[in-house]
Amino acid sequence: MTRHEFWTLTRRLVSYAVLSAVTFLVCFPLVWAVSTSLKPKSEIFATPPTLVPHTVTLENYQALITGRPQYFQSGDKQVTSGTTPAQFFMRWFVNSLIVTLGSTLISITISTLAAYSLTRFRYWGRTVVPYFSLLGYMVPSIIFVFPLFLVMVQLDLTDSLLSLVLGYVCITLPFCMWLMWAFMRSIPIEIEEAALIDGASRLQVFWQVVLPTALPGIIAAAIFSMIVSWNDYLFGRVFLNSLDNLTLTVGVMLFFEGTHVDWGLLMAASVLMTVPMAILFMALQRHLVAGFGAGAVKG
Amino acid sequence: MRPGYTLSDRAVGLLFIAPFVTAALFFMVYPIAEAVRMAFYSYNPLRPDLSAFVGLANFEFIFRDPLFWDSFRQATVWTFLSIVFQTVFGVGIALLLHQALPGIAIFRGLLLFPYIVPTVVIALIWRWIFNPEIGVVNYALQSVGLIGEPIYWLSTPSMAMASTIMLNVWKYTPFVVICVLARLQTVPLELYDAAKVDGAGIVRRFLDVTLPQLKEVLIVVIVFRTIWTFNKFEEIYLLTKGGPGTSTFNLAVYSFEQSIANLRLGVGAATGVVMMVMLSVGSIIYLRVSGFGEDEKAS
Amino acid sequence: MNSQHTRQVSRLPIDRRQVLTGMAAAGVATSTGLGSAFAQSTKTGTVRVWGEPGPYGGVAVAAMNEWAQKNAPGLKFEIESIPWDGVYVKLMTDLAAKRPPSLISVESPIAMQLMAEGLLTPVDDLVDKIGRNRLVDGVKWEYWGAWKGKQYIVPAHHQPHLLLVRMDIAKELGLKDPDTWDWNDLLNAAKTISQKKPDMAGFCMALGRNLCTDYHFAALLHSAGGRMFDAANKFEVAFDSPQTVEALTFVKELQPYMPKGAVEYSFLQVVDAHVTGRTAMSFYWGRTLGRAAEEAKPVFEATEAFNHAANPTTKRRNNWNDFQGWCIPAQNNPFIDEVRQALVYQQTNKDWLIKYCHSLMPNVAPTYKDIADAAELKEHAFYKSKPRTVDTYFRTSLAHSSSTANELLQGVNPLAGIVHGRSVLAQTVQKVVIDNMKPQDAAKWGAKELSDIRRENIRLLG
Repeated sequence: MTRHEFWTLTRRLVSYAVLSAVTFLVCFPLVWAVSTSLKPKSEIFATPPTLVPHTVTLENYQALITGRPQYFQSGDKQVTSGTTPAQFFMRWFVNSLIVTLGSTLISITISTLAAYSLTRFRYWGRTVVPYFSLLGYMVPSIIFVFPLFLVMVQLDLTDSLLSLVLGYVCITLPFCMWLMWAFMRSIPIEIEEAALIDGASRLQVFWQVVLPTALPGIIAAAIFSMIVSWNDYLFGRVFLNSLDNLTLTVGVMLFFEGTHVDWGLLMAASVLMTVPMAILFMALQRHLVAGFGAGAVKG
Repeated sequence: MRPGYTLSDRAVGLLFIAPFVTAALFFMVYPIAEAVRMAFYSYNPLRPDLSAFVGLANFEFIFRDPLFWDSFRQATVWTFLSIVFQTVFGVGIALLLHQALPGIAIFRGLLLFPYIVPTVVIALIWRWIFNPEIGVVNYALQSVGLIGEPIYWLSTPSMAMASTIMLNVWKYTPFVVICVLARLQTVPLELYDAAKVDGAGIVRRFLDVTLPQLKEVLIVVIVFRTIWTFNKFEEIYLLTKGGPGTSTFNLAVYSFEQSIANLRLGVGAATGVVMMVMLSVGSIIYLRVSGFGEDEKAS
Repeated sequence: MNSQHTRQVSRLPIDRRQVLTGMAAAGVATSTGLGSAFAQSTKTGTVRVWGEPGPYGGVAVAAMNEWAQKNAPGLKFEIESIPWDGVYVKLMTDLAAKRPPSLISVESPIAMQLMAEGLLTPVDDLVDKIGRNRLVDGVKWEYWGAWKGKQYIVPAHHQPHLLLVRMDIAKELGLKDPDTWDWNDLLNAAKTISQKKPDMAGFCMALGRNLCTDYHFAALLHSAGGRMFDAANKFEVAFDSPQTVEALTFVKELQPYMPKGAVEYSFLQVVDAHVTGRTAMSFYWGRTLGRAAEEAKPVFEATEAFNHAANPTTKRRNNWNDFQGWCIPAQNNPFIDEVRQALVYQQTNKDWLIKYCHSLMPNVAPTYKDIADAAELKEHAFYKSKPRTVDTYFRTSLAHSSSTANELLQGVNPLAGIVHGRSVLAQTVQKVVIDNMKPQDAAKWGAKELSDIRRENIRLLG
């Protein structure tokens, strides 16, 4: 082996080693959460803690998915405690889905249409708007929350999923606008002009020629929007009230009940909450990275 | 002559931008304007009928409040340390991922994962693994002999600050990685070859070739991350609620507490105004640095 | 589904189905007499009821649903438990959002604030139906909530917090009877235990920025003879006093013998610490015993509750009693009539009231004489194994009870809810135990916060 090959090999091994170590540290919290969620109560608190559970149990996941009510043992009797947060988990899941998909749909529709208009027509403000949007994007959500809350109170929309959908449009629209504008700009006008000369109307051109080309950008915007909506806590906390209407992020914080914390249940809930995002991420990683390339992203 | 071009085109153009303009008015302009207006009123959400114009009283209140200045200082420390670590780790990881090693895609996928995890989830998992008595981190550290007694990760001001910084670094380093990696992939290889021919070693090559190429993207990333991090709410609130005491308060948490716990929506709004001023300063810096106006001429 | 419950079910002497059937049968038997006295309602919907985490709220709501079956078949009462740390904030946002629950079971400080803000309906007619002379000795209706001559709160239960002591440890170390202790004895006991038992803290209370700390500290403050506000003098702030300093100093002296993480502790963690044997003594309400019985039988057997150690100067042994009551929001509440009737039903039904107390012994104490004296109340394993402890919670504590909403029982204080919402007392304590401020300075800081509250809400004192 030549000296050069030796150093290359060493460098490769070291890289793998460091990458593995870093990856392990980064992924550890979630791995541990999965591990805890699969353990029975006795093993969760056992020392030494085990990474791979000795006994695998699905009772935590079952409890969340089936909404098993909790019974309290008091003295000799078992009494129902009424509604405990864990029973609402699936309901919250559906709520989160509704709110995420709803707001994403609205945001990408509005921003795609607007981006097309801004890049294909000439009028005052066509470059001001995207930058204005970017500025709006940088305003932290804590500033929006309370004015919007008061609006919802006046519209009698509090404690409804619709209020969240509107709230999330507020925080996802700016970046979607910016992203779609950047994408639309990079789509050459020649394809459209050819179609227009052939006699297509503007709407037809938009629908059949531009949209398919802009699809990667739309997907990137959609992913970004879904992540922001699914993961939000603040808006849900302020806008929602009754247990029925909560979203996952807000509801899961209620698991810290007054009597005791069921860590296994809590970890199972955490895992289930992350799964949709993980799937989204893995399937569409490519698009996400491409989207980031269009501009430094909110974090 | 394009059939049906002139009239319907203009209509289409305006039609497409209309939804955005409406949405922007309601969801961006109005809330911010209202937030600014509320800063000059006293507003108890329980008794809206008692709301009154108070001029600059809210601002006087926050500027005289030691907690406000503490929050400001803590936010600065938190932001500074978070950015330093995110940048160092981000560049390091990006360099590691930049190699054409087999299987590098898997590492890249896993290392970018933290971004999509809901903050609630990671905060809960953090509380579990960093629990002083039953958490796995303390157990691991103690069994390896690194510490004698359990560390109280969230019970002292400095540890709580460190824990929230850790969480922030964990969650947002992927951003830096993506941006830096994207830039690294555009650095022409000839520059490295030229440096090697000149006899430069690894470190020299990094300092003389890589770093200057990264300078631009790093500045943009740092400015952006600073703007975001300064105003973060969930990463702190969900982990420590601003405690112990008020040692991990930042301006967003301060605003939230004033509005909800203290029922002083006006004061919360005034804090929001201060945050927006800070934000504007940061944005101006960003725009200067990223070369606003150059894109204008290009389009 | 039943297989999930084998762990719990196997400990039951009777079958769960039998229990529930029995409850229903008993309920029906007693309800038929009163059923005809209520008006019929044709409304439909869900009546939201809020309560603390715990089974008793569910029991009360079960009673109300029994009423609803006969008199308002379209309605269903549903209980939502709100974690304590979120009660104040959640309640305020719901009220601000004009979406209050129809019925709330809440601790007296918050009840008083809502009452003074004019957000509740008066319940004097309900009190008459329930029985004006029915209260146990030593308490008045106004302790739960009366304002300007009208009653607004119907008692749900009362809960004092007491001094819990692991008697096995106390005996082992030769400590004298905790019932005779004063503050110095408590401090020495904590010290001795910490020294002789290295893996255990001597004492535990809450020191986090939360409601629990507020309550624990308030009791010490009152025992020292101090107060936040002077009810006799237009509620002027009386917090900056030697008594406050004394109480703060006492907490600081106890701190080294508490678990290290106590500065973050709230309700949950204090119970945890005691039940898992990490502390030998603690301040708490009855829930600790309930949980110990479930999870740590040896701890349960060994723990007894006592009235607090007496302050050496004043000899006071104050506890913080929640005087928990039912209140009915007056605005945006479509079910006021039905809720009033259902409440009367539950409150005049002996079986349901006893079940309420039995659902988490000895956490919820009966408020009516006939229930407190009832033989059926004593038909519970806890009463049999720890009669003295239960009696302390239920009866003898009342002589020492105090509340931030009614300091030293000298007058209703509507500002208490706001004080707790901002955790002013907890923050004062934290300034001493975390920031190492001098108690005198911390007391001044607290007094300033309190006077801000008083000034901003002077209209409530009207």
